[in-house]
Amino acid sequence: MILRYLARRLFLLGFVFVALTIFVFSLNYLFPGDLVSNLTGLRDISPEQHQELQQTLGLNQSIWQQYIEYNRRLFAGDWGLSFSSQQSVLTEIGKVLPATLELTSYALCLSLLVGIPLGLLAAVKKDSLLDKCISSVALVGYSMPVFWLALICIMLFSLQLGWLPTSGRLGVLFEVPAQTGFIFIDILLAPQIDRSAAAYNALLHLTLPTLILASYPTNVMIRFVRHSMVDVLDQNYIKTARAKGLSRGQVLYRHGLRNALLPVTRQVGLQFSSLITLAMLTEVIFSWPGIGQWLIDSIYQRNYPAIQAGLLVVSSLVICVNMLTEIVHTLFNPLARKL
Amino acid sequence: MKKLRLYYEEYNKKPYQLLWKHFVPQHFALFGLIILSVLLLLAVISPFISPHDPYQQNAELLLLAPSWQGSGLVSYPFGTDDLGRDLMSRLMLGASYSFGLAILAVCGSMLIGLLLGALAGMTRGVQSSIFNHLLDLALTIPSLLLAIVIVAVLGPGLLNTIWAIMLALLPQFIHGVGNAIQEQLKQDYVVAYRLDGANNWQILWSVVLPNLWEPLSLLFTMALSTAILDIAALGFLGLGAQAPTPEWGSMVADALDSIYLAPWTVALPGLLIFITVLSINLVGDGLHKAMKKRRGS
Amino acid sequence: MQLLDIRNLTLELETPDGIVRAVDRVNLSLKEGEVRGLVGESGSGKSLIAKAIMGVLHERWHITADRFSWCGEDLMRLPYRRQREIISRDIAMIYQEPSRSMDPTALIGEQLAESVPDHLVEGISWWQRGYFRRKRAINLLHKVGIRDHQSVLNSYPYQLSEGVCQKISIAMAIAKDPKLLIADEPTTALESTTQAQLFRLLASFNQLKGTSILLISHELETVAKSTDTLSVLYCGQLVEAGDTATLLQNPRHPYTDALIRSVPEFQPDLAFKQQLYALHGSIPTLQHLPIGCRLGPRCPNARKECVKTPQLERHHNHFYSCHFPILRTNDDE
Repeated sequence: MILRYLARRLFLLGFVFVALTIFVFSLNYLFPGDLVSNLTGLRDISPEQHQELQQTLGLNQSIWQQYIEYNRRLFAGDWGLSFSSQQSVLTEIGKVLPATLELTSYALCLSLLVGIPLGLLAAVKKDSLLDKCISSVALVGYSMPVFWLALICIMLFSLQLGWLPTSGRLGVLFEVPAQTGFIFIDILLAPQIDRSAAAYNALLHLTLPTLILASYPTNVMIRFVRHSMVDVLDQNYIKTARAKGLSRGQVLYRHGLRNALLPVTRQVGLQFSSLITLAMLTEVIFSWPGIGQWLIDSIYQRNYPAIQAGLLVVSSLVICVNMLTEIVHTLFNPLARKL
Repeated sequence: MKKLRLYYEEYNKKPYQLLWKHFVPQHFALFGLIILSVLLLLAVISPFISPHDPYQQNAELLLLAPSWQGSGLVSYPFGTDDLGRDLMSRLMLGASYSFGLAILAVCGSMLIGLLLGALAGMTRGVQSSIFNHLLDLALTIPSLLLAIVIVAVLGPGLLNTIWAIMLALLPQFIHGVGNAIQEQLKQDYVVAYRLDGANNWQILWSVVLPNLWEPLSLLFTMALSTAILDIAALGFLGLGAQAPTPEWGSMVADALDSIYLAPWTVALPGLLIFITVLSINLVGDGLHKAMKKRRGS
Repeated sequence: MQLLDIRNLTLELETPDGIVRAVDRVNLSLKEGEVRGLVGESGSGKSLIAKAIMGVLHERWHITADRFSWCGEDLMRLPYRRQREIISRDIAMIYQEPSRSMDPTALIGEQLAESVPDHLVEGISWWQRGYFRRKRAINLLHKVGIRDHQSVLNSYPYQLSEGVCQKISIAMAIAKDPKLLIADEPTTALESTTQAQLFRLLASFNQLKGTSILLISHELETVAKSTDTLSVLYCGQLVEAGDTATLLQNPRHPYTDALIRSVPEFQPDLAFKQQLYALHGSIPTLQHLPIGCRLGPRCPNARKECVKTPQLERHHNHFYSCHFPILRTNDDE
């Protein structure tokens, strides 16, 4: 039964990926500029090269064939060259994606660690002063534009107080060659540097962007967990458990928690896509060398192959995360299994 | 004031009146509503009441401090920006761009979303399944990314931003409306209508649609706050409103260069965005609570 | 020995239209080993009284009583925590919809094991406690008549039928050996064969262990067969109370009389195609409660004096509150 469910999910995943590639493929036609340039990423193409490329890309065949050729190229790893650097787009993405992954995963963990307990606390002590404080803080944080919050924090912490650096991942004094792209692993692997100092420096650089990025998901999580927990506490089985003689803490822990946190797993998946949006904005403000800043620069430079590739990668990431959280949700939720 | 009850009659208020009655005691929500109305008014009449021309540059009064600081002038209440334009007039005109256009975008998105969502909700079987999965795909692409792609296709500019926002909000509306309609269709009164012989169109028109305004208004407030934040974010990135349009997000980006000399040029537009989104969220929360209380009582 | 003694219990709720008295000065008392029935139409406040006794009523309700004592101890004077301790130790309740009163995401085995009270596992070393709890859970399942404990223990509530769920909630209730078992319409959601099984089960607990049972129902015919004493409620007011046999033979209150007459099983000489008796009118809503005796508008015996709430009168352990009771001529005064 579980196998059948997984098989269905994978089939749907494949279907979604196909739709995604169709969408990205069609962008080649929608972007202004020459079709061949868009597809390959080469800029100054001489007429003979143009003819040749038309043959290799299969442009004289039907749209369906072109699409299949396109997919073949994707699987082979030929994602085209970036307009500005004339480097393979895939390698460029490989350099910048880990930075974004690091930032978003830390922010996500932070939001879960802070948001879930606060939301639970607010729901358990409903309508008390604590609950009102937590809810108002969550509402205020939920309404704040990310870039403004970032600027205010930079003004305060970096410029006035000088505690935290304003941009980048690591101070210029540290020479850490990028091997995996994940800063802490790179620091461990780098030779001849003071590891603890470099790690501390990286942590300082990481603090402000992570906090800013985590603010929105934390507030969403607080509101959502509070709502979910209040719903669960109203149910009959909680009252029965109280009547059975369990203490309040036991009831909350045993019955309330599991039922309240189940919708949260699904929500995390949905939150991931807005997290990526915010990550892009945060990266621009903090000059964090991640895929968000790379994509935005590509927009400024009208770097169409880069935009396509970035879109493909980011969307695939979000789809995978969504699928994972749905599978986790179904695994843990007995009610969903009866479907 | 209690009415004089000579006869024992039941006075039942209309649903909208009941909703208002439950909305008013929530002071914060009411406060948010007042602020929203003021902003809406500003968005409509700002060209007529702004003290100076928002586009007129004044080379003598660059980066004037706000009037509450010693070096400021009362005739320029919020000071001027780096090109000498009055900040207050720009902020007021910005209301019509950031707020007014956001409302238009959300309304447009809602109408289209309603049509498509009705289709998604009322159909069943394989075509509905395919449609829902395509919708899932659309939901997974981050809204900013989608907006960026559309802007890349169409070119930057405020109008294209509106199209981008509309398209980015559409999946959420379709999903929300589809879910609400599905929930309605499970109710027993729909079964009763079907047994009476109503066809799909009649059920949609007379049974499902009137009951949709509750989830729809909640979706509207959520989408509106997302739209304002997205328009501001796109303006900040330079992909939305182009200079010299006084959209709040692009004003923040323009003023970044002079952040040391004139921090109020950065703080004030952002503060207005924050206040707008906060009041929308307050109203949305208040509406949600009022609806629950009205259901429960 | 008097287990439960409640005098003048009143439950009030604040609504936008004013304070509504859902339960108006009800007396309830239970002896050890007694099976008492609490009968009334839906809306008469029976479930409210049960919840008030258990202490799981919502905070909106104001509970007042002249006396609320358990085993001679006045609960009103004790602090809240001590009240709950006593109640949760000695009183258990089973509900109308059993599958809704169980945690949907927890296995039945887990829920049963956690209802085994702590004082039974006290002497046992902590690593053996889980095993002991599970053994006791299996024991309980056998007691309520579920042979195949293995599959039941490993399933979730939604996978089992209502009858089995109700037996499981009875098992959870008797796990702590309560002195009083409150059954709030336990058979409404079940078919008649399961109903019969359930009543036999409750009767066996009453006889073998001496557990008192408070059986709440709206069906007079089922309650009449299984109870020793009966209390009849109408619209939050106690209308009549006494031994079941006496009540059914000589009802004093017009409402009890109407209830008995409307049950076809109690009419031995019902003619073919005769119209069935029913009290005209319907139960009033909470916003429009009549003053005085709430049966007034519907009562066939009602007169001007009925706008004053009648006092509770007593005759040989038969309590009734009516200004114009039905007195049979062959009754001994």
